Amino acid sequence: MIKNIYSFILKRYVVITPLLLVLIVAQREEYSQLTTSGTFGSAIRLAIPIMLAGLGGLFSEKTGVVNIGLEGMMIMGTWFGAWGGFTYGAWQGVFIGMLGGALFGFIHAIATVSFQVDHIVSGVAINILAAGVARFLNVISFEDIAYASSTASPRITGEIGKMTVPFLAGGPINDEETFNLFGNIENLDIFLISDFAGFILGFLSNISYLTIFALAIVPFSLFILWHTPIGLQMRSVGEYPTGSESLGVNVYLMKYIGVTISGALSGLAGAYLVIGGTGIYLEGQTGGRGFIGLASMLFGNYKPFGILMGSGLFGFADALQLRSPQAVHGLLIVISIFLFVLVLKTLFEKKYTQSLISLLFSGAFLIWFLNSTTIPNQFVYFTPHITTLIVLSFANQRIKLPEKIGVPYKKGELT
Amino acid sequence: MNTAIKTLNISKSYPGVQANSNVSVQIQESTIHAIVGENGAGKSTLMKILYGMTKPDEGEIEIFDQNASMSSPKDAINFGIGMVHQHFMLAKNLTVLENVILGIDRPSFKNLGLKKYKKLIEEVMSLYSLDIDLDMFVEELSVGEKQRVEIIKVLFRGAKILILDEPTAVLVPQEVKELFNNLNNLKQNGVTIIFISHKLDEVIEIADDISVMRGGKLIDTVKNENVSKTEVAEMMIGKSLPIPPPRSTETKQNKILDLKNITSKTVDGRKFFTDVSFNVFGSEILGIAGVEGNGQKEVIESIIGIDNIESGEIYFNGEKINDKTTRERLDSGISFIPEDRQLQAMIMDMNLTNNVIIGRQNIKKYKSKFATVKTKNAINESENIISLFDVKTPGTNTLATALSGGNQQKFVVGRELEDDPSLLIASQPTRGIDIGAQALIWEKLRESRDNGLGVLLISADLEELIGLSDRIVVFYQGSLVTELSSDNVSPEDLGGYMTGLKK
Repeated sequence: MIKNIYSFILKRYVVITPLLLVLIVAQREEYSQLTTSGTFGSAIRLAIPIMLAGLGGLFSEKTGVVNIGLEGMMIMGTWFGAWGGFTYGAWQGVFIGMLGGALFGFIHAIATVSFQVDHIVSGVAINILAAGVARFLNVISFEDIAYASSTASPRITGEIGKMTVPFLAGGPINDEETFNLFGNIENLDIFLISDFAGFILGFLSNISYLTIFALAIVPFSLFILWHTPIGLQMRSVGEYPTGSESLGVNVYLMKYIGVTISGALSGLAGAYLVIGGTGIYLEGQTGGRGFIGLASMLFGNYKPFGILMGSGLFGFADALQLRSPQAVHGLLIVISIFLFVLVLKTLFEKKYTQSLISLLFSGAFLIWFLNSTTIPNQFVYFTPHITTLIVLSFANQRIKLPEKIGVPYKKGELT
Repeated sequence: MNTAIKTLNISKSYPGVQANSNVSVQIQESTIHAIVGENGAGKSTLMKILYGMTKPDEGEIEIFDQNASMSSPKDAINFGIGMVHQHFMLAKNLTVLENVILGIDRPSFKNLGLKKYKKLIEEVMSLYSLDIDLDMFVEELSVGEKQRVEIIKVLFRGAKILILDEPTAVLVPQEVKELFNNLNNLKQNGVTIIFISHKLDEVIEIADDISVMRGGKLIDTVKNENVSKTEVAEMMIGKSLPIPPPRSTETKQNKILDLKNITSKTVDGRKFFTDVSFNVFGSEILGIAGVEGNGQKEVIESIIGIDNIESGEIYFNGEKINDKTTRERLDSGISFIPEDRQLQAMIMDMNLTNNVIIGRQNIKKYKSKFATVKTKNAINESENIISLFDVKTPGTNTLATALSGGNQQKFVVGRELEDDPSLLIASQPTRGIDIGAQALIWEKLRESRDNGLGVLLISADLEELIGLSDRIVVFYQGSLVTELSSDNVSPEDLGGYMTGLKK
C-alpha cells in the first residue's frame, strides 16, 4: 500500500509537486487568489476548449494521423457555432459548430489518408484555409445584419443554462437558497482543506451545462478508445496498419473515423469559445488554443485524463493572469522550488548537465521573486504559455507515441 | 490419416521469374511438414498462395478435401489456415490480449468484453500448453514470446493448419528448443504445421515429412525417417556444375584486406560472429559462402564500419582501420555494393547523376572550391557508366526508379568500380536480375580483378560463387568453418559445409 503511494508520487511528481507548492504558497495573504473557487471556476472555463482540442488530437493521432489542423478546425467551430447559434439557438449552434469542425476533419482525412499528402502539409493548409473560409462565410452570411462586421458575427440567440448544485454548493431548490457546504468550508480558511473545498466548488457552482457536456467527453473518449472494438481497431491502425489490415481491419475507414471525430471535437472546442463565452464570433478568437491543445495531448501522454490535467494547468495559469496579476507573482517561487526539486532528481540520476541548467533557472526565478513584489503586465499575459512550456519540457521524457504516426499507409501493401 | 492440404500443378510467374511451376504437394493432417529450399527456390511464393495473399496463375488447392479458391488472407483463415510471419504482425503499444482479439469483432461501440476474451484465450492456451501473460505490452516481450503471441493469435481464430515462415531465423537456441516443444504439442492436439526453413539441422530434428524445392519446382517429398541430411542437401542445392572460367592473371601477394580474430558485439545475448580471420589479396576474388543469417552480413558491415566490433583488428592496405569512420574507410578506397539496391545502393527518387554523387560528395572531382557540387563532372561520369556498362536508360536525368532491376544494378556496379578502388565488397551483386546483366557484371568483376582489384564476394548463388571466386571461405553459425580453393569444389561440398554437415 505504502509502496503503491510512493510509486504513484514518483510517477506523477510533475503534477503533484507544483500542486503542493501552490497550496503552500496560497496560504500567504497576498497570494490567496491562487486557490479560490472563483479562480478554479474560471480555470475550468478556460481549460475546456484546450481540453477538447487535445481530445480531438488524441482521436486523430491514435489512428496515426498527425493533426496540426486542430486550430483550423477550431476556427470552423467558432464560426459555424456562431452562425448556428444566431440562426437556430444555442444548443443547435453547438452541434452545427461540431459539424463544421467535422467537415474540415473530413477534408484532412481525404488528403492524408486517401491521397497520402504529408500530414503536416495538409494540417498547415487546413489552418490557412479555415481562416479564409471563416471570414468569407462571415461576410456573405451577415452582410445586412446589424452589429455584424467582416470580422465579427451578431450575438447568438438563446442561452445555455447554468446550474449550482444544491446543498453542496448552495444552489437553489424552488428558488429557495440551500446550505452551501463547500462554500462554508472555503470561508473557514483551514490549511489545505479550504483550498480543496475551493477546488471542488469551482466544479459545482455556477457551472454551464455545456461545460458538463464537455467534461463528460473525457470518460467517454476513454471508453470508446480503450473499451470498444472500434476503439481497439482505431488504435491498432496507428500502431501497425499492415498487421491490422491482415486481420481484416478496414484501415482507411478507421483513420477516416478518427480524423473526423477529431474535427468534431475541435469544432466543439471552437463552439464552446463562442457559445460558452463571448456570445459572438470574432476573428482570431481561437488564439492558438488548437496548438496548445496539441501540447496538452503530449503532456497527457495520449491519455484522456492526462489531457484534462494538462489543459487544466493551462487554464489555471490563464485564469490567474486574468483575475489576479498579484497572485502570478507567487508562481515565481513555485517554479523556482519545482526546478530545485528537479535539480535534486537529476543529480540523483547523475544527469549533471540537466541538473546544472535546472539549477541556473531555479536561481534566476528565486532572484526575480525576491527582488520584486509584482510582475510587469507584459509578462503576466505570457504566464499561461511559459507555464505550459516549462511543464512540457520536463514532462516530455516518457511520451509513448503511436508507432506509425505520420506514416502514410497504402492499402494492400502486405509483405 | 487425412490430407490437410493438397495442391495440384500450382504455377505462378512474376515478370521475368517463374516463381512456381507445377507444384503438387500433399500435406497430411497432424504432421509437421517442412518445406526446404535455398533463397529464391519458390517457398515463399507457395506459402503466399496457400495463405491467399497471391493467386496462382494455374492449379488447384484442396483443403480438407474441399476445393479452396482464396483471394485474401481472410478466406484462408476461414478455411482454417493461419500464418505466422517472419516479421511479426504485432502492435507494440497494445497488450497481448488486445493484439490477439484485434479484428475479431466488427468495429462497433459495444463493450469489448476483455474479461470474457481473456478466459477464452486462456482456455486455448491451456489446451495447447502455451503460456504467456496476456496483460503485458507486446513491446516488453522477448522475440520468442512475440512468436508465441502470433501462434496463439492464429489458433484463437480457429486455425487448424499453421504456416510458419522461417520461424527460427530470429530466435536464440533456447527459444528454438521451446518453439519445437510447443510445435510437438500442437501436433499431438491435431494441428497441422507447415514449417518453411533452409536450416537443415532443424528440419531434420522436427519434421515428419520434407518437401524440397529448387528453382520454383518441387523436387520431391520424402519421409524424414527415410532420408539423410546429405540427401536433402543434395536435393536442395542441385548437381549442375558451373563452368570454371579460365584466368590468365595471377593473384598478387599484397594483402589488401586482413581481418585478425574479429568478434562482433553482443546483441540480445548473442554474437553474430566470433573470432573470424581471413584476408583478401590483390587481384583476387574471395567468395564467402554461407546460409543467410550466419554472420556474413555483419562481418561486411564491420569491415566498412557500419557496425563496431568487440575485439580483433581490421587492416586495409596494411593500415589498421578499426577506429576509422565509414566515410574515411570508403574514401580510402573501399567500394561497396550492398545486397539491396533499392534500399541501400540508390535513392530511387533521384536521377542517375545525383546517384553517382551520393557518398562521393567530398571527392575532389565533385566538389568545387565553394563547396558546391560539380554537376557537370557527375553528368560526364554517369554517361561514362551508362556506355561502359550498357545501362539502358533514356538519359542521365532519369529517375533511378524508372530503370529495370538489372539496369539499376549495372549502374551501381559501374559507380562502385569507377574510382579504381583497391577493395570491392560485393554483396549479392546479381540477385534477381536477368541473365544478360548478370553476365556483364561477372565479366566486369573479372576484368577489374585482373587489373589488381581485391574483391570480397558474398552470394547465395553457389554457382556464381564457385564460378567467380579464386578462394571460398564458408561461414556457419558465426564462425569461419573452412577455406576451399574454387578449382576443386562442388556445390554439394559447399552445401555440406554451409549446413554444418561437414566440418
